[in-house]
Amino acid sequence: MRIIVHKHKCQGHARCSAQAPDIFKLDDEGYILPGDIEVAEGKHLLASRGTRSCPERALELDATPAARAESDVIQPRGRRV
Amino acid sequence: MAINWVPDHIPPEMVRDFSLFKSPGMLPAPNGDPHAAVACVHAGPPIFYSPYNTRDGRGTWVITRASDQRRVLQDAETFSSHRSIFASALGENWPMIPLELDPPAHGVFRSLLNPLLSPKRAMVLEPAIRERAVTLIDRIAAAGTSCDVMKEFAFPFTVNIFLRFLGLPDHRLDTFVGWAKDLIHGDHLKRPAAAQTIVAFIDELATKRRKDPVDDFMTFILQAQVEGRQLSDVEVRGIGVLVFVAGLDTVAAAIGFDLAYLARNLKDQELLRSEPDRIALAVEELLRAYPTVQMIRVATKDIDFEGVPIRKGDYVSCATMIANRDPAEFECPNTIDLARENNRHAAFGYGPHRCLGSHLARREIVIGLEEWLARIPAFRIKKGTAPITSGGHVFGIKNLILHWS
Ligand code: SF4
Repeated sequence: MRIIVHKHKCQGHARCSAQAPDIFKLDDEGYILPGDIEVAEGKHLLASRGTRSCPERALELDATPAARAESDVIQPRGRRV
Repeated sequence: MAINWVPDHIPPEMVRDFSLFKSPGMLPAPNGDPHAAVACVHAGPPIFYSPYNTRDGRGTWVITRASDQRRVLQDAETFSSHRSIFASALGENWPMIPLELDPPAHGVFRSLLNPLLSPKRAMVLEPAIRERAVTLIDRIAAAGTSCDVMKEFAFPFTVNIFLRFLGLPDHRLDTFVGWAKDLIHGDHLKRPAAAQTIVAFIDELATKRRKDPVDDFMTFILQAQVEGRQLSDVEVRGIGVLVFVAGLDTVAAAIGFDLAYLARNLKDQELLRSEPDRIALAVEELLRAYPTVQMIRVATKDIDFEGVPIRKGDYVSCATMIANRDPAEFECPNTIDLARENNRHAAFGYGPHRCLGSHLARREIVIGLEEWLARIPAFRIKKGTAPITSGGHVFGIKNLILHWS
């Protein structure tokens, strides 16, 4: 699974790294490091949560057919109280 | 003063009788819920014109959809934030920095300040924040079974952290809070007077620190370099004033709204008390439900925006409380679901001007709730009392008297 990083859209909300600091690494100003992110097996749920928490839409799940089939399976469900 | 004056280029059918200052539910009211009251705009068109939507009675376009607000706020070239809102109260014209600078100048100052308020920095400040919360709450718990949260916790907590960050003395806390209140909620006489006082104070502080540097924010600004030069006096003032006014009111209001919600929703209160790990996520939902600010931009050129004729000089309002109740963005936006995922709320804005203090503000709110819930048993709003809430340019909560046994 891969996350496409649109670096120019990042405004340093740090919502992604709050979900998964190991996956979404920030620079000293608190903005995401450039370059797309390869996500390890077993971290897909966290990665997609982080991606979906970005207010600027700076992060995008790679939607190539292979990647999409994979991320459909791990689509997170909203937990209700 | 131009009130209810609609410019010629605005089609009459695009004008709506709505204002963040005067619409039903916006004026100060006991047990009010101004956030729920603004949500009603989503029953109407996604963009409309309000003829009186600023403090001085000016009209603005009102952007209701989160996706449209994102577009406006991300495009600082078309929608400028250079309004000299503070200076104009004094009949002057200088920008608060970085808020009222547009790119590229904005980026230079933003990069200078970002590291001081980064997520990492907020973590370093955490022990001091927690200690301050614990001291205040322990004192409240020891004193009895009731208190006014705003006066005894929310303000002394947030303002203290903020003054320490700035390197300002704690014993003047009440004075500073008074200035901020006059500036944000005061009338047409109190506001310019408060503005004057704050400018004089910041200028004086700069003079002092220039003579005797210490390890604080003002000294950092005075010694900093941008583009190979030191900052000018007006730039130092622009930064000092912004940081001063931005941090004084909003975080305290957020804590007040959050504790008022929990006081009225005992199941949620108990859930967070018994499972404190949920607090960080819950705070995002509370930030979505109870944000405090409206952002206003000025169009720098004519643009047809989603079918609406925005013309150069028009004001465009992006109210966070409206975007955060957008049904196109959030499932059941008026339901507060403390476990909501994918919560891309707009409480700290979008685009290059995203709230510089957001990481510190978040940590303060999370820590404040953690320590409050750990130390104060099941609490409710005290019988016979009612929190007074208000809309306006910055939403607020004036008092919150809680009771527990
Ligand atoms: S959440 Fe989005 S804007 Fe924020 S740091 Fe991550 S990528 Fe950047």
